[in-house]
Amino acid sequence: MSISPTSALSDAALQAAPSSKARGYWATVGRRLLRDKVSVACALILALIFLSALAAPWLGLADPYQGSMIRRLRHIGTAGYPLGTDELGRDMLARLIYGGRLSLIVGILPVILAFGIGTSLGLIAGYVGGKINTAIMRTVDVFYAFPSVLLAIAISGALGAGIVNSIVSLTIVFVPQITRIAESVTTGVRNMDFVEAARASGAGPFTIMRVHMLGNVLGPIFVYATGLISVSMILAAGLSFLGLGTKPPEPEWGLMLNTLRTAIYINPWVAALPGAMIFAVSIGFNLLSDGMRSAMDIRN
Amino acid sequence: MLAYILRRIVYVIPIVVSVALVCFMLVHITPGDPLVAILPADASQELASQLRIAYGFDRPLPVQFGLWLWKAVNGDLGHSIATGRPVLSEVMRAVGNTVTLAIAAAMIGFTLGLFFGLLAGYFRDTWVDKVATSIAIAGVSVPHYWLGMVLVIIFSVQLNWLPAVGAGPGGSGAWGWDWEHIRYLVLPAVTTSVIPMGIVTRTVRALTGDILSQDFVEALRAKGLRETHVFRHVIKNAAPTAMAVMGLQLGYMLGGSILIETVFSWPGSGLLLNSAIFQRDLPLLQGTILVLALFFVFLNLMVDIAQAAIDPRIKRS
Amino acid sequence: MRIEKSGRSRTAAAVVILAMAAVAALPRISAAETTLRIGMTAADIPRTLGQPDQGFEGNRFTGLTMYDALTMWDLSSADKASVVIPGLATEWKVDDADKKKWTFRLRPGVIFHDGSPFNADAVVWNVEKVLKQDAPQFDPSQVGVTASRMPTLASARKIDDMTVEMITKEPDSFLPINLTNLFMASPAKWQKFYDAAQGADAKAKSQAAWAAFAKDASGTGPWKMSSFTPRERLELVKNEGYWDKARVPKVDKMVLLPMPEANARTAALLSGQVDWIEAPAPDAVAEIKQRGFGLYSNEEPHVWPWQFSRVEGSPWNDIRVRKAANLCIDREGLKDGLLAGLMVPATGTFEPGHPWRGNPTFQIKYDKPAAQKLMQEAGYGPTKKLTVKVQTSASGSGQMLPLPMNEYLQQALAECYFDVQLDVIEWNTLFTNWRRGAKDPSANGANATNVTYAAMDPFFALVRFLQSSMAPPVSNNWGYINNPKFDELVTKARQTFDPTERDKALAELHAASVDDAAFLYVAHDVAPRALSPKIKGFVQPKSWFVDFSPISMTP
Repeated sequence: MSISPTSALSDAALQAAPSSKARGYWATVGRRLLRDKVSVACALILALIFLSALAAPWLGLADPYQGSMIRRLRHIGTAGYPLGTDELGRDMLARLIYGGRLSLIVGILPVILAFGIGTSLGLIAGYVGGKINTAIMRTVDVFYAFPSVLLAIAISGALGAGIVNSIVSLTIVFVPQITRIAESVTTGVRNMDFVEAARASGAGPFTIMRVHMLGNVLGPIFVYATGLISVSMILAAGLSFLGLGTKPPEPEWGLMLNTLRTAIYINPWVAALPGAMIFAVSIGFNLLSDGMRSAMDIRN
Repeated sequence: MLAYILRRIVYVIPIVVSVALVCFMLVHITPGDPLVAILPADASQELASQLRIAYGFDRPLPVQFGLWLWKAVNGDLGHSIATGRPVLSEVMRAVGNTVTLAIAAAMIGFTLGLFFGLLAGYFRDTWVDKVATSIAIAGVSVPHYWLGMVLVIIFSVQLNWLPAVGAGPGGSGAWGWDWEHIRYLVLPAVTTSVIPMGIVTRTVRALTGDILSQDFVEALRAKGLRETHVFRHVIKNAAPTAMAVMGLQLGYMLGGSILIETVFSWPGSGLLLNSAIFQRDLPLLQGTILVLALFFVFLNLMVDIAQAAIDPRIKRS
Repeated sequence: MRIEKSGRSRTAAAVVILAMAAVAALPRISAAETTLRIGMTAADIPRTLGQPDQGFEGNRFTGLTMYDALTMWDLSSADKASVVIPGLATEWKVDDADKKKWTFRLRPGVIFHDGSPFNADAVVWNVEKVLKQDAPQFDPSQVGVTASRMPTLASARKIDDMTVEMITKEPDSFLPINLTNLFMASPAKWQKFYDAAQGADAKAKSQAAWAAFAKDASGTGPWKMSSFTPRERLELVKNEGYWDKARVPKVDKMVLLPMPEANARTAALLSGQVDWIEAPAPDAVAEIKQRGFGLYSNEEPHVWPWQFSRVEGSPWNDIRVRKAANLCIDREGLKDGLLAGLMVPATGTFEPGHPWRGNPTFQIKYDKPAAQKLMQEAGYGPTKKLTVKVQTSASGSGQMLPLPMNEYLQQALAECYFDVQLDVIEWNTLFTNWRRGAKDPSANGANATNVTYAAMDPFFALVRFLQSSMAPPVSNNWGYINNPKFDELVTKARQTFDPTERDKALAELHAASVDDAAFLYVAHDVAPRALSPKIKGFVQPKSWFVDFSPISMTP
C-alpha cells in the first residue's frame, strides 16, 4: 500500500536539471508527449471527466440529490436510468458526473497545495542550507516516519469528517514528500556552474531561486505531483469511504462507494461504479505522469 | 559497519520521540469528550467531571504527555477506555493478525512483482513488456478497497466460493494454516498485494533494464557468457534496491491496512484503529498509531542497515 | 536475504497447509451438543465484566446472559408489555416513614458461577463498585453506564445475610425499575484476581483485577463464560445449576460474534456461518423469508422522534405547528415503502396496551387536510412556507435509517408548508449536542434534533425530556421544555410508591405529553432478527431484551 509514486523519479530530476536555459527543451518535451498515443488518450479522457463535472448543471441530468424510495437500486440499463439508481433512488449517472466535482477537488487540491508549500519549503531548505535546512528537513523526517495512509487517517480521525479537514490532512501528508524532492534537487543545482555565475554577477538570492532554481526544480516535481494525484484521489476517496471525508448527502465517489456497499447483495454492479470512476482518474494521471517522465527523458 | 549502525540508531531516537509527540498531539486536538465511549449522553455533569478526574483528563496536556511517554517507555500504553483492556495487548494481538495478512500479501505481491518486473526488463519494449507494465500500472492505480469490494462481489456474492469477511470460522484466536482458515485470507491478501505487486514490477523492470543496457553486459554477452550468468549478474545488482523497496512496501502494508481490513472485517491493527477513531478511545487511538508508526520507523532502519551491509558505498554518504 | 527467507517460510507454510488439510479431511465425530451462533450488530463484544457497554444490545448479550440483577424484566410474552418482576430480590418495599429508605429481601440459595454464595455482602459490594469511590472494587469505567441509569441511588447497607437496605437521594418510586441495570458480579472471584494482581498501587491492581475478571467472568446468570477472544468472539455455556430451574437453557452453547455490517451479517446467516442475526438488512428481508429463515420482530420500547426546540423564537412554540407536523406524516407509507415493514408507527412514546400509555385526546395519525388547516391557522401556506432546521446524522445506534427517513419526512412535510432543512452531522457530535441543548452553538441554529431514545424506564422515556429541571446541562431536555403541568406530574409519579398508582401517574404524564405534541413521534423500532429454521421455541417480547433459555435447536 505504498503511497508514493515510484522510482525513476530521481532520474528524471537529474536529467531535467542542467537544462534550465532551453525553451527548446520544453517544446521538445511537448512534441514528444503529443506523439505518445497513451498520454494523449489519457489526457482526453481526463479532460472529458473534468469538463463533464464542470458542466454538470447544463448537461440536462437528473437532480443528483432527489431520491425516491420507489425506484431505489434500479439496475444498469433501466429505462430513464442508464446507470441505475442508488440506495436512495437517486440517478447514478447524475451522481457520478456531479460526484466528479467534489472527488476531483478533494483529490487534486491537496496536491496543488502541497506542491506550492513543499516546493517553497524545499527551495528554502536547499538554497539557504545550514540550520534552516536542518529544521525543515528534520520536521519533514518526522512526518515521513508515518506510513502515509496511517498519517492521513490519523489526522482526519483527529479533525473529524469534512471536506476541508480531508484536504488539510492530505496536504499535510504530501508536503513532506514534495519538500524532500525539492530540497534534494535544489541542493544539487545550487553548486552548479550557472548558479555560481549568476551569484558572481550579483543576482540576489530571491532572483537566483526564482530564475535559476525554480525552473530546474519545477519539472521533476511537476512529474511527481502528477503521479501523486493518482495517490491522492485514492486516498481522498478512501477517507470518505471510511466515513472520514465528505459527508452525506453530497455526491462524492468514495462516499458513494461507502453507502452503496450495503447494496452489493442486491445490485452489485451499480455499487461498483463509483470505484470505477476513481480507478479511471487514478490510472489516467499515472499514465500521464509516466508519459511526461519519458518525454522529459531526452536520452532515449 | 557497527559505527554506521550506531549512528543510524542514535539518529532514530529523536524521530521516535517526535513521532510520539505527533501521535499524542493528533489525538488530543480531537474535538469531543474523551470519555464519550463510557459516558452516556444522559449522564449527569457531575458524573462526567468525576470521571474526567478519575481518568486524569483534567490535567494539563504536557503533564499528560509526560506521564504517557514515561509509561510507554516502560511498556505500558495504558488501558482502553471503551474496553478496559490494556492497550498494548490489544494492539499487539491486532498487529499479529495484520502481519499474517501482510506476509500473505507480500508473498503474492513480491513474487508476481519480481516475475513481471524481470520479464518486462528482459523483453523491454516488446509486447511482453507492455502487458507487464500495464498490469503494474493498474496495480498502483486501483483503489484497493474498491478492488476488495469487486472481489467480494465476484467470489463471495456471485460465485459463493470464498467468505466475504472475518478471520476464520473460530475467529483469529483459533487461526490455523489449513484451507478452512486460509479461505478467509485469500481475498484480503490478494487485494492487499496489488499495490506492492505494481510497485515491485516497476522497480525491478527499471533496474533490470538499466543493468542490461550497460555496456559491459554487451561485452559479457559478446564474450559468450551464458545467459544464466548474465541473469545472476542482474539479480546481484538489482537486489539492494529491490529489497529496499520491498521492505518499505511491507511497512506500508502493516501501517496502511485500515481500508482493506475495514472492507473484509479482518481483525487487525487497521480495524482496531477504525474502531478507536469512531469510539473516540484516546488511549487506544494514540497507542495504535504509535505502535504502527514505530514499526515503520524500525523497518526503515532495518532496510537502511541491510542496504548498507550489501552495498558499502551507502555507508560513506 | 529477505527474498530467500520469505521463500523458505513459503515452503514451510505449504508443508503445514498440506498437513493440516490431511488432518481436516479425517472424518469428524459429530457431537450431540447444540450451539447457537449469533451475529450481533455491535462492532465489538460488549463488555463482559458485569456492566456491559454498547447500550441495551450489550445488556441483552453480555448482561442478562451471564448475570442477574435484583429486579428483572418479564420476557416471557410476545403480546403483553414487558414489566418488572423479582430477580435476585424476591420482594422489596419502601419505608413508610422515610420514603428514601428501601429494603430488599434476597433470593436464598443462589450461587455464583465460581461457587461462592450470593448474599447481602455481594449486593453491597456491587453497589459500591460504581458508587463508593474509595472502595477497592470501585471502577470508573463502569460508572458511566450504570450510575446514569439509577440516578437517585446513593448507598446500600447489609441488614442481615438476606436483607439489604438501599438509600436514595430523594424519594423515587422508579428505584426497582432502575435496579434492572445493576448486574451482580462475584466479589469472591474478583477478590482472587485482585490478590494476584501486579500493580503499583491499589488503583492499578483494581484495574488489573477487572481486566482479568472480564476475561474470566462470574455472575449468577443462566449462561457461564467459557471462552473469550476480544473483539471477535465470546462463547457461553449453559449454567446447569441456575436458580430458576424453568430457565436453565436448553441449548448447550452460545457463541456471540460482532458483525456491525448488515449485509455481512445477512450473508453469514444465509451461508450458515451463524444461526441468528440481529437486524438483517432490510433489502434482504424478502430473500431471508423466501429461503425459509424465520423473521421475528416486535414493537420495542424505542422512539424515533424529532425533539423540538422550545427556546424563544422557535417555530415549534406554536402547538398548532407541532400538531400539524404530527398529522402530516404517512407513517404507514414510511413503514412499507422504506423499511420493508420493519417499524411500528408511533402515536406517542408508548402505544395502546402499555401500562404507561394513558388516554391522550390528541390522536396522532395521518390526516393531511387537518395538518394543512392547522398550518393555515398558524399563518402559513403554499406561498408562505415555514422553515425548520433539523440536526441528524448518517448513522448511529438505534437511529434506524436516519437519512432516508429524514428525507422522507422532508418530502412529506413539504405538503404541509414546511421547508425542512437537514443539518447532517457526525453521530458523536449529534449525540454530544443532545446533551448541550438547543441553545448551544453546536446546534447550528437547528430547532429540532433527531436522536432516538430507549423508553424502558420512566426516567429515560419521559422525565429527562419533559421536566424543566432536566434542561441542559443536567440532562436531555434538549429543547428547554418548561411546562408546569409536566413538572407537577413528574413529581407525582416519582412519589407514588404503590406500583399500580405509580403506573397511573406515569400514564397521566404520558397522555399530557402527547396532547401537547411534545415531540414529532415517528416510529418505534421493532428489533428485527432473522433465525435459522433449526431454532425452535423463540419468543420475541416487547422489549430490548430476549430470553435465550427456552430456545432449543434441532441439529
